[in-house]
Amino acid sequence: MEFGEDDAPPILVNVDGAGNEDEDSKHLKVPITIVTGYLGAGKTTLMNYILNEQHGKKIAVILNEFGDSADIEKTLTVNTGGEQVQEWLEVGNGCICCSVKDQGVNAIESLMDKKGAFDYILLETTGLADPGNLAPLFWVDEGLGSTIYLDGIVTLVDAKNILKSLDDPAQDAIPTEGHDYDSHVGPLMTTAHLQISHADIIVLNKSDLVSAEELEAVRERIESINGLAKLQVTQQGQVPNLQEFLLDLHAYDSVDALEISKKGHSHLDPTISTISISTPIITVDQLPDLDSWLQSILWESKLPLPHASSSGDYANFAHEIHRLKAWIPLVNGEAKIVQGVRDVFEILDAPSNVSTEGRLEGKMVLVGKGLSSTKFEESLLTTIGPN
Amino acid sequence: MSTEAPALRKCNGADCDNDAGTLQCPTCLKLGMTGSFFCSQDCFKRNWSTHKAVHKPKSGFLSSFFPPKVVSEPDLDTGLYNPFPTYPFSGSLRPAYPLSERRAVPKSIPHPDYWQDGVPKSERTRKGRMQIEILNKEQQEGMRKVCRLGREVLDIAAAAAVPGVTTDYIDEIVHKACLERDSYPSPLNYGNFPKSVCTSPNEVICHGIPDQRALVDGDILNIDVTLYHGGFHGDLNETYYIGDKAKADPDAVRVVEAARECLAEAIKSVKPGGLFREYGNIIEKHAKTKNCSVIKTYCGHGINSLFHCSPNIPHYAKNKAVGAAKPGMCFTIEPMIALGTYRDKTWPDDWTSVTQDGKRTAQFEHTLLVTEEGVEILTARLPNSAGGPVAMPAVETNGKANGVTNSEKSS
Repeated sequence: MEFGEDDAPPILVNVDGAGNEDEDSKHLKVPITIVTGYLGAGKTTLMNYILNEQHGKKIAVILNEFGDSADIEKTLTVNTGGEQVQEWLEVGNGCICCSVKDQGVNAIESLMDKKGAFDYILLETTGLADPGNLAPLFWVDEGLGSTIYLDGIVTLVDAKNILKSLDDPAQDAIPTEGHDYDSHVGPLMTTAHLQISHADIIVLNKSDLVSAEELEAVRERIESINGLAKLQVTQQGQVPNLQEFLLDLHAYDSVDALEISKKGHSHLDPTISTISISTPIITVDQLPDLDSWLQSILWESKLPLPHASSSGDYANFAHEIHRLKAWIPLVNGEAKIVQGVRDVFEILDAPSNVSTEGRLEGKMVLVGKGLSSTKFEESLLTTIGPN
Repeated sequence: MSTEAPALRKCNGADCDNDAGTLQCPTCLKLGMTGSFFCSQDCFKRNWSTHKAVHKPKSGFLSSFFPPKVVSEPDLDTGLYNPFPTYPFSGSLRPAYPLSERRAVPKSIPHPDYWQDGVPKSERTRKGRMQIEILNKEQQEGMRKVCRLGREVLDIAAAAAVPGVTTDYIDEIVHKACLERDSYPSPLNYGNFPKSVCTSPNEVICHGIPDQRALVDGDILNIDVTLYHGGFHGDLNETYYIGDKAKADPDAVRVVEAARECLAEAIKSVKPGGLFREYGNIIEKHAKTKNCSVIKTYCGHGINSLFHCSPNIPHYAKNKAVGAAKPGMCFTIEPMIALGTYRDKTWPDDWTSVTQDGKRTAQFEHTLLVTEEGVEILTARLPNSAGGPVAMPAVETNGKANGVTNSEKSS
């Protein structure tokens, strides 16, 4: 309609050679990775490195100005074999009202419809973006049959400045709107915390600018916040094994051994921590109980009370969960995995190629604020009951 | 797509003498205009400010006087034309322009915030998008009232929907009926929607724009009415059989009754603690039993002082919708059910959503209030409401689903 007129011209289309699109290619899903990090953490350097590196992949880089997909930049850069092309995203004025799919997702899908699929898509956010707001938008429901899927979140951290960022409120400028959590109670939560707590991969950049001791201190602090993420130490945004570390993360559709780092249990950071709890092997009948427990802790931020007597202990127990992963083995030999980011979660069948043998118990790892492994474990066990 | 010989094509750029290759303006192509060739992206960019004017065939009031450059010739007898003559329509339906003038709403009737610029600013706040409002007794009474008025208006519109009348005429009826009830017709200028009601015939899934096409015996037509009254919106729709031919068409009856039943089934599970993600499972399961598919692009929505707000209610199975119903919440469920593919596309008018295979779809919608005991259907049918379920016509050749119609009332 007339009001949807963009101010900038779209990219011309080459009509010759159009129309021979392979129907099958539509069923291939293209991974999208969200890249976050403070200004100066080296995001742009990393992006340029990825775009210029000869990897034989067609990678699209999308810039996102405000950490809200409504403000997605209308241009993206596609790299094909060292050659960079600018493309325009058609972000409709769309009726947010009743359209389920995010506009940014739609725009990327329609571009791929026209120009052919990419191998990877990287969404570069601004320094102040809260990835927890973006991830649910790109974690598209399976039922929608999207051509993209959320592969994971990569956070770049500047080894020299990160500790200051985590401790210094002046560094921080979380716009209150759009951020879910009030940070006026309890310890300080900075954007740096949010970017680390939601990450699946943390690239610890500019390691050459700090001493070995400083680097170790940074590593410990980050691992205490998010023990789930894989840590990659690098210089000048160079990641030698790109595919191994930044791409094909499958952070939202599979769950690995959930080996959280040794430091994970420490509480070096006053705000965010990672906890790991053991879960028993459960029956299919207990799955609805697990489901309602997850609903309670993720949707209501309420930890179900183990028993009435301990209510006093739990009453003021406010938590918020940024990331959750679990491996839940079933008595019948199958297994379920749980994926969660903020209040969105899903219980999935575990990929059948992963062996359950030798796993005598399940495991759940949570990253967030106000978490206590004893309390969460007690609450979960009481809710699902004995099998 | 056939390829023209590239000989001697000149760049459309005003200041450019270059030959053009095969690069064309994508917006022109989308609108069905051919011949917008440019020699390069740079040249295109330079000429964008002037070129983009071609994309506005029907924008502004001038278009009612000057037909756009590339349209079908207006029919000499009726003056009607298809504004997108080369657009690849998926079914047999075509838009019938010109649209009538925008209908006026007296200033004495309270307007929603988007009435002038089309932007529902209040919906874009964090409150509209993240939090689900719990209505107090007074607000619930406001919702009850506007929903009852909405029901009256829909019933009036439905009674008028017979073969031979245009959807624009239905728009006129809805508009007047809203004004008589001291109500603003919520669709009018919401996101710049040009009319006061959505009319969606046959392959149109939703958001059809009322135009000069006359209804035909055998059509099915969805009429989607929303009123804004006393500070609240009430939203409902039904699909109606147009003429006796439609009621005798097994496919039409199958898809319409499937949609009616899907809504009724989903409403059964609306109660405090009921999960928003569950309705889609129920709807998709029931649609499958009727050999129908569920449209995924559009979903139900929260509704109160805002037309559309949190929560989102997907109609498809296996969704991750967050949250559970609580007493005092108001939202709609409005499944769109298709005979063929669930895949949709949108006409160049940016509103009309149709099925990609051109097969028919049907939709039903209620505004619901969650109560302590369960649910109150605020837009429930009245004893004398037009429309209503129809039994599956006897079919001679295929023995499918004969008379399975569940004549359950959706109230």
